[in-house]
Amino acid sequence: MLASLEVAAFYSLVIATTLCMLLYMIWLGSRKEIVGKLATYVTIVALIASTCAIILRMITSGHPPLSNGYEFLLTFVAGILAVYLFAEFRYKLRSLGAFVMPIPFFLLMFIIMSMGPDERIAQAVPPALKSQWLTFHVLTAMFAYGAFAVSFGLGIMYLLKYSKTENGKKLSPKAMVARFPALEKLDELSYKVVGFAFPLLTLCIITGAIWANYAWGTYWSWDPKETWSLITWIIYAGYLHARLMYGWKGKRAAWLALFGFLAVLFTFFGVNYFLPGLHSYAQ
Amino acid sequence: MEENSNSLSERVWKTFSSMKLGLALLGIIALVSAIGTVIPQEAMDPEKAQAVSGLWKTLGLTHLYSTLGFRLLLGLLCINLIVCSTQRLKSIYLRTFKLTPPSKLVQVPQKNRQVVKGELVALRESVQEVMIQKGFRFTLSDQSEPWSFIATKRRLGNWGSLITHLSFVVLVVGALLGSLLGFKGYFMEGAGSTIPIQSIEVSKGTVSETFSVRINSAEDRLLPNGERDNWYTDMSILEKGKEVTRKTISVNHPLVYNGVSFYQASYADGAVFTSEIKGQKSPVVLRNKGESYYQAPGTDLYLVINLAKSSSQQQGVLFQVYKGTGANPIQSGQLKTGETIDVQGAYRLTFDGLAGFSGLQVKKDPGVSVIWLGCGLLLIGLLLAFYWQPLVISGMVQAENEKQGTLTVGALAGKMPDSAREALEQFVSSVTKMIR
Ligand code: HEM
Repeated sequence: MLASLEVAAFYSLVIATTLCMLLYMIWLGSRKEIVGKLATYVTIVALIASTCAIILRMITSGHPPLSNGYEFLLTFVAGILAVYLFAEFRYKLRSLGAFVMPIPFFLLMFIIMSMGPDERIAQAVPPALKSQWLTFHVLTAMFAYGAFAVSFGLGIMYLLKYSKTENGKKLSPKAMVARFPALEKLDELSYKVVGFAFPLLTLCIITGAIWANYAWGTYWSWDPKETWSLITWIIYAGYLHARLMYGWKGKRAAWLALFGFLAVLFTFFGVNYFLPGLHSYAQ
Repeated sequence: MEENSNSLSERVWKTFSSMKLGLALLGIIALVSAIGTVIPQEAMDPEKAQAVSGLWKTLGLTHLYSTLGFRLLLGLLCINLIVCSTQRLKSIYLRTFKLTPPSKLVQVPQKNRQVVKGELVALRESVQEVMIQKGFRFTLSDQSEPWSFIATKRRLGNWGSLITHLSFVVLVVGALLGSLLGFKGYFMEGAGSTIPIQSIEVSKGTVSETFSVRINSAEDRLLPNGERDNWYTDMSILEKGKEVTRKTISVNHPLVYNGVSFYQASYADGAVFTSEIKGQKSPVVLRNKGESYYQAPGTDLYLVINLAKSSSQQQGVLFQVYKGTGANPIQSGQLKTGETIDVQGAYRLTFDGLAGFSGLQVKKDPGVSVIWLGCGLLLIGLLLAFYWQPLVISGMVQAENEKQGTLTVGALAGKMPDSAREALEQFVSSVTKMIR
């Protein structure tokens, strides 16, 4: 019963995410207020659906959503939707939707295309994964990764607008990027979002280390997943510093935000699918 | 000579105080770490690491994270961070505790500035009122003309990046302590056995402790639904043969004794026997599937066992006896609980029952508390840097004539010009409301 509700929530999520992505894109082209409003509402529906799916999964399985890639991706998507909606409301920035929503869309498509039903069902967790610290680990990862996805969208917007206005080129008021916020504003927003997420990513790594220390007696063992989360952390530390260095604000910082998010994706996909390690049993 | 060394040390100091060098080091560390995830590492995957080419091994690529080069990088970064922090200490201190009100108009932040006209006395009073209302900490200038002020909120946020940087040094020190003074080892023993801590298989460091460990029982417990609950080991620590501590540990619930921690890492099935040689009885614990063997003292006979699938006592245990390096068993058979057989006339063997084997990770790491301290500082530093950003508003009131004056007020923009502008607008609108 609960399991079939969960499946229903998952497909509602897929439909809502697809729809809101398209609506945001249409809105960006047409600027019809009603389309924009609708896009926002559908995103709220998507957030509710993903939250329901996760909660139902946690009730049926009795543990935080980390027993397999499906559960983790679902949490990732919910994190992106939550942080995105917050940013849209707080900064009145609807154009961001067209650049952020493709990310949860592709993540969901990845689930549908590459994971069979048996890979999606709740799995028993090995004794090592029974720890309260992992709940914090997942929660912090969810919001940190969600925020990094948003800063990725902001980075793309920055670079698009930058390339159109480079060398003092004049923008026609009809151009899509003319409706984006000013470059400095995009840069500052991205900084705020990364500044929100960086402490969370740090907390995520630390709770992971505390857990590992309880489980194996080593807080850090340089397994590929740990190492890649450290690399991600270093890239974002680089981003934060780049903004303080002469000539690195803006364009180069935006590129670093893009690389940072690619490292986030690699930490998840690359490490689980290409590199061996401790975390591989978590699938 | 004197001058030369002076300028050299100055140059070294200058190099290490550069943020460019710091970022370059961070970049190199990230790159080297990435290489270590592609090349098999001895600590993670010893067999594959053994298989890579000799040259790579000599270069240390199979134990990258413990090479001197990698430690050198971390050391350089630490020096960099310490130098950077020392250099900025004074300015952070001044920014936090010694803010001085502007004495000239140009000292009021210019990028983010607003002007309010009004009655002199009302302006001064309402500025003070607003600062108190909004919870600012403020200083007024000691001279009366021009009247000026500087107000700040969340001033401890200034320390965020400094604490963050130093916490990284603390983390590196903690890791170093662990690798210099600690050890890491592993053993797998069956229920009923006692082993001296010195005899465990150590992969890092040396064991100086002298106590022994007794495994009282080991159990693989399942939940009613068939899922694994956990592995449990009831274990005791013995000092000179006397029990000093006893605890049942499981995965995620270790035992710590005198700084040495025991972690449940794995589990295997096994069985207990009694061997009797010339009237001398002694217990023998063996692991399933030939993972361990028994060589009776004074013989070249090797005994291994295999538990029947369902591993119930009734079904018993299969055994095989090998002689020397012979590939084929010279004796084999099945034993039920309580049964005794004669092995090649050398000894008698009684099957006492099943016994669990517990695989324990043993670790001593005096650096761990330093690591947690570093983690705590890191978090505090980051929270201060990003969730507690200081706000500084300063301004002055200049007299136009006896009664009227102009308030010029500005906010320090820092990294968030938008937020500073917002705060300034709120400040000014409160003041304006009040003088009306
Ligand atoms: C271990 C890696 C490092 C981490 C996690 C780190 C973290 C931080 C953080 C969080 C900030 C505040 C940024 C902001 O408010 O936007 C910061 C600022 C800064 N960092 Fe680092 N940092 C690291 C390494 C370095 C290195 C190697 C240097 C150069 C020697 C350096 C120099 C600076 C400077 C000069 C600032 C500006 C401080 C300020 O504006 O108050 N950092 N760092």
